Amino acid sequence: MSALLPATRRDFLRITAISAGGLVLGIRCGRPGEAQGSQGGDFRPNAWIRVDPSGKVFLTVGKSEMGQGVRTSLPMILAEQLEVDVEQVELVQASPGPDFQDLGTFGSRSLRTMYLPLTTAAAAAREMLVAAAAAKWSVEPASCRAENGRVMHPVSQRSLSYGELASAAARLPVPSSPALKPKSQFRLVGKDRRRVDGPRIVAGEAVFAGDVRRPGMKFASVVRCPVTGGKPRSWDAEKAKAVAGVRLVAAISSGLAVVADDTWSAFQGREALEPTIVWDEGENAGVSSAEFLARLSSPNARTAGTLKRGGDVEAALRSSARSLEAEYVYPFQAHAPLEPMCALADVGAGRCEIWVGTQHPNRAQDEAAKTLQIPASAVTVHVTLLGGGFGRKSQPDFVLDAVEASRAAKAPVQVVWTRADDLRHDAYHSATLHRVRAGLDASGMPAAWKHTVVAASNRPASEPMNEEGLRAVLRGAYDVPYAIGAVEVSAAEASSPLRLGAWRGVQHNHNVFATECFFDELARAAGKDPLEYRIALLRKEASVPGGRDGAPVDRARLASALALAGEKARWSVALPKGRGRGVACASYDGRTPAAAIAEVTLDRGGWRVDRVVCAVDCGIAVNPMGIRAQTEGSVAWALSGLGTEITLKNGRVEQSSYSDFPILRFRDMPKVETHIVASEAAPSGMGEPPVPIALAAIVNALSAASGRRLRRVPVKPEDLKGA
Amino acid sequence: MPRVTILVNGQSRQVDVPADMPLLWVLRDRLGMTGTKFGCGMGVCGACTVHLDGEPFRSCQVPVGEIAGKRVTTIEGVQAEALRQAWLIEDVAQCGYCQPGQIMQAAGLLGRTPKPEEDEIDVAMNDNLCRCGTYLRIRAAIRRAAEKEGLHY
Repeated sequence: MSALLPATRRDFLRITAISAGGLVLGIRCGRPGEAQGSQGGDFRPNAWIRVDPSGKVFLTVGKSEMGQGVRTSLPMILAEQLEVDVEQVELVQASPGPDFQDLGTFGSRSLRTMYLPLTTAAAAAREMLVAAAAAKWSVEPASCRAENGRVMHPVSQRSLSYGELASAAARLPVPSSPALKPKSQFRLVGKDRRRVDGPRIVAGEAVFAGDVRRPGMKFASVVRCPVTGGKPRSWDAEKAKAVAGVRLVAAISSGLAVVADDTWSAFQGREALEPTIVWDEGENAGVSSAEFLARLSSPNARTAGTLKRGGDVEAALRSSARSLEAEYVYPFQAHAPLEPMCALADVGAGRCEIWVGTQHPNRAQDEAAKTLQIPASAVTVHVTLLGGGFGRKSQPDFVLDAVEASRAAKAPVQVVWTRADDLRHDAYHSATLHRVRAGLDASGMPAAWKHTVVAASNRPASEPMNEEGLRAVLRGAYDVPYAIGAVEVSAAEASSPLRLGAWRGVQHNHNVFATECFFDELARAAGKDPLEYRIALLRKEASVPGGRDGAPVDRARLASALALAGEKARWSVALPKGRGRGVACASYDGRTPAAAIAEVTLDRGGWRVDRVVCAVDCGIAVNPMGIRAQTEGSVAWALSGLGTEITLKNGRVEQSSYSDFPILRFRDMPKVETHIVASEAAPSGMGEPPVPIALAAIVNALSAASGRRLRRVPVKPEDLKGA
Repeated sequence: MPRVTILVNGQSRQVDVPADMPLLWVLRDRLGMTGTKFGCGMGVCGACTVHLDGEPFRSCQVPVGEIAGKRVTTIEGVQAEALRQAWLIEDVAQCGYCQPGQIMQAAGLLGRTPKPEEDEIDVAMNDNLCRCGTYLRIRAAIRRAAEKEGLHY
């Protein structure tokens, strides 16, 4: 018995009771395109709630924990509506398989896509438990109430636990529109809750991929060609095998795997092997950063496209009282999570078992199956905690290293990347070049906006860019939130000498950087206050097409976030010479309107960020403590990105450690203030939205403090000179 | 292969490993003590921090053959209840990977300097990296542990 419920305009939700031990509700939430297959007999849930006869509640989901707190916030949502204590809920990490598709943790989507389905399913389960109790007592369900894992009948002072009711409840129909508990009655959602994994982490007992141990396992290190796309031509395996503990050198797709009894011996063997390898470096041999910048200046003709809104931008530019133009540059960036890539695989005849901290278990499963030429159902993926993900661990490359090494070694093998491997063989954040041009009217307000984004890309130069690809490249650029008469935003691509992938904040990083910093230039050219200028241009009723899936930018909510940030940062109070303030705002794919104000100080040729004030409107704040943590982390991520870049010489990435890829340190962490806008709207994401605005606000603050307009990332000391 | 005897968390342990194998890998791969993390292998991130005779060291840089007679303390055995509690109260951890090293570094600081000044905290903690950006909370937790604020043990 099941119910198909409208969730949101773009998503659907289906809940089915499943006969198994206790009350089990399978939840299928997803996008409309996925609905068709599952509306027939082929119902495949992607989350499960189980009320066990013991009274314990299990929530099985395919969401990976990488520090964003999803293992804490999802049980809060369930416990709220089910009326159980949050400690009564145990979160079970799902493994992909025929029953479990579309697992994946990226795009700041977990709460956005799961809040309503979980809320609804938990309320349905609660109503079924109440109905089961009411039937047992032959009373009206309305005369009963659910509380703390029990159904009570106050009039007769009877009560039954959920465990006692679970089996009877499972035989009842699933209500099609269960009554949701209103926000005013929330006791968990909206209150600070500490991370469920905290105690294990501080005890050193939290299990990451590298901490998994299996009987008879070996450890491996893989040497890759220093040039992306290159292959080993010849090598002397004996040199590696001469190292104590080394068992095997195997050629695998990504390079040469040195398999040993422990990680250290594998590293030693690899060092002995490396000088003997002759590489075929392939087409990226010899590429340098300077050459690549030239490529960005003359992009591929076919992978290009334009999005427009309002009037004719060229005509508007011609009739403007004044026009400005500028170029902004953003570099390749590496993820560099503290846990280097690591996976353990055990390949047997026709089967494979994998232990990995991955953001994308389905992809790991599919790719492993393809590599081994076995069905996906023969591949089991156990998802551990991730020692940082940031988009990097959506890639299956390091999983396949382990799969291939295990197949060669005929034993369970754990592959451990070195830090240099991590920095030199990442799926990097794309480098970009931005040409922006704007026309101001006689009152200094923008009448025309033209922005061309040239991005490094792995898309073949012969492949035309479709609408979806175009919207992806232009996220954070085409949805410029301001009321401007004519807007034209174009994308073009240049072939990347490096593999690219999602990096926390994705395209919003560079696109919001160019948009919000150039917008600051306009405000200053017009002699206007940058905060007031922005708010004035958001005081229009129309919304702007925002999200890739059509979610509009809500100008009023964005203006409110700006005003709140301005008030909390005391924007109107001037700072002394040598210090500066900057503001930026954006709505992340039309969601989580947010504003940031940064305060910086210049000293002795250097600079520091003193404080970043963020106002975020993420809908219902499920766990404010987690929202503050995500904002702090986002500011740290953005600030790190002002000091790091990946550069190329002779086709090789030049960076190899935290010494030459200097992520933010303890002493340089600014104060971060997070102000959450009170909201009744459904939650939207918080993992990424503060990143791009923090970056742009800091750059604007440095420009204000130094009197020098900064237009490139990373910011170098010489960029600030001449103040 | 030589037999090496080391004293870990008060227990004498014998392992057959090359003398130049870093303590980190002896702990993780030979003794199955995985609380100490591998972050960079170059002594620049602090994820592998352990104590030798109570002082923080980067275990990826310490050849096991050179620590005969020294007391090794890891996250699994360190007496740091005030810090652990403060870490939980401040909800420091995000991904949690660097936190054992952070706690070992902080424990070293408080062992030497029970009431550190802000700049002493800066100096002690500046070489322990966290990519999630938990630094503000690490500072707050160290302060809380030093002041025994709101702790019960």
